[in-house]
Amino acid sequence: MQVRFAGIGGQGVVLAGIILGEAAAIEGLNVTQTQDYSSASRGGHSIADVIVSREPIYDLIVTEADVLVALHQLGYDTVKDSLRKDGTLIVDTDLVKPDREYTGAPFTRLAEESTGTSLTVNMVALGYLIAKMGIVKRESAVEAIRRRVPKGTEEINIRAFNVGFEEGSG
Amino acid sequence: MRYPFVTGGSDFIQGDEAIARAAIMAGCRFYAGYPITPASEIFEAMALYLPLVDGVSIQMEDEIGSIAAIIGASWAGAKAMTATSGPGFSLMQENLGYAVMTETPIVVVNMQRGGPSTGQPTLPAQGDMMQAIWGTHGDHMLIVLVPSTVQEAFDFTVRAFNLAEKYRTPVVVLGDAEIAHMRERVNIPKPEEIKVVNRKLPRTPEEERMPFGDPDGDGVPPMPIFGRGYRTYVTGLTHDESGHPKTVDREIHERLIKRIFRKILDNKADIISYHEYELEDAEVAIVATGIVSRSAMRAVKMLRERGVKVGLLKLDTIWPFDFDMIKKLAERVHRIYVPEMNLGQLYHLVKEGAEGLAEVTLIDKIGGEVHTPGEIVKRIERGERR
Repeated sequence: MQVRFAGIGGQGVVLAGIILGEAAAIEGLNVTQTQDYSSASRGGHSIADVIVSREPIYDLIVTEADVLVALHQLGYDTVKDSLRKDGTLIVDTDLVKPDREYTGAPFTRLAEESTGTSLTVNMVALGYLIAKMGIVKRESAVEAIRRRVPKGTEEINIRAFNVGFEEGSG
Repeated sequence: MRYPFVTGGSDFIQGDEAIARAAIMAGCRFYAGYPITPASEIFEAMALYLPLVDGVSIQMEDEIGSIAAIIGASWAGAKAMTATSGPGFSLMQENLGYAVMTETPIVVVNMQRGGPSTGQPTLPAQGDMMQAIWGTHGDHMLIVLVPSTVQEAFDFTVRAFNLAEKYRTPVVVLGDAEIAHMRERVNIPKPEEIKVVNRKLPRTPEEERMPFGDPDGDGVPPMPIFGRGYRTYVTGLTHDESGHPKTVDREIHERLIKRIFRKILDNKADIISYHEYELEDAEVAIVATGIVSRSAMRAVKMLRERGVKVGLLKLDTIWPFDFDMIKKLAERVHRIYVPEMNLGQLYHLVKEGAEGLAEVTLIDKIGGEVHTPGEIVKRIERGERR
């Protein structure tokens, strides 16, 4: 399973990739996580790749994504060609105007409404992704969030994750 | 010993972090470094962990000072490491030769990025392979290990310390920016599951007086440790068995340098490590090392599905180099492809080994991206259609 997150700097795209990877590792799956970002600290494109498999992983970057999670038009435009023809496109429906079939929700708006900050948009999108696609168990993702987010922000991030998960379960 | 990280289990970590943890489990208690992308996370982890295991981590004024400090620490009895990337590795070359000449066990990690000069700080490359082997001046011999996964970054770092101690030599771990920063699930053994080798110490007063002698006939002299009652002379000048300079005696120079070569080359079977995949019936071979060997492995699977009889020889060590093994491979296949992230370095070693028995074709790539499996497949399909 190849998952690619695409957005812009500041949206926490890489952290979403790390947390999905950690959750897969918790379940004993083989997992490789890489990232690509432009040198701009904010505003440039930001890509995180996660490859999960029961077999040894030879790939480094996602070349044929099974799932593309796009949080911003710039990220989407940069990597949309890497999504397989029959792959799943998940987008922030307020910020990305896709030119193909997609699913998604207004992740940034949901983050602001539920946690008072758009900073948790990555967790909303992660929750939505895991509800829609499986990949890892919900409990593993929550455990991975606890391990990886800055101390003191665990609860707000898990709340955002749950909002996304409920949205994706509908 | 309690380690400040998980042992006897798996963790999801970057290659740099894996190298730091492996070093500590192999017994490293001294780190000196100067921060540089993409090796800085090794320094960060050593700075965090070493004080918790009674070790020392120190930031030096530059990379010249860093390698000098670990050479000194090694003579004081500590297993010692430094880590850097291309520009810093260039600065370390003189003292890398000093470590060869003084037969000092040290581990030098170079996480390759695009060069020359400051080049592409955040992007991977394999442009330092010849530098790792031949970067310092004069006839010299050392060991170079090249990991291709985060697990290998861990395993090869442990092995680097053991080889350094066993053969009293500097060992280079040659990673790249991709291995440095990617995260993978890594199995970290229990401490008792890790084989740790320690250097030979002088056993007799005669051996104490001869820190560059060869009492066991294996070319590896017992190494006295400063502060334990020995009086030892250490110099980069050509020296006799007692360590004192003898700079104009042709025989002494030849004996010293040839012993330094022999202690490594006579033990190639112990030092050289490689893996073969699908080579049994192969008509075409790929020889690759490090990060690119992963794409090559995937390319072998893709080509096999299309009926191309291709296999992979993955090199874990690139120096010393097994030219005979390449010759045997060249006798069995008609073409050898060498994908590497430079404009041709490993290619020349493979070509020398093949002795014209098989055609050797370079698949070069620079600019900061690892070859995709598809790129390797395309080049081989095009090459085999001719």
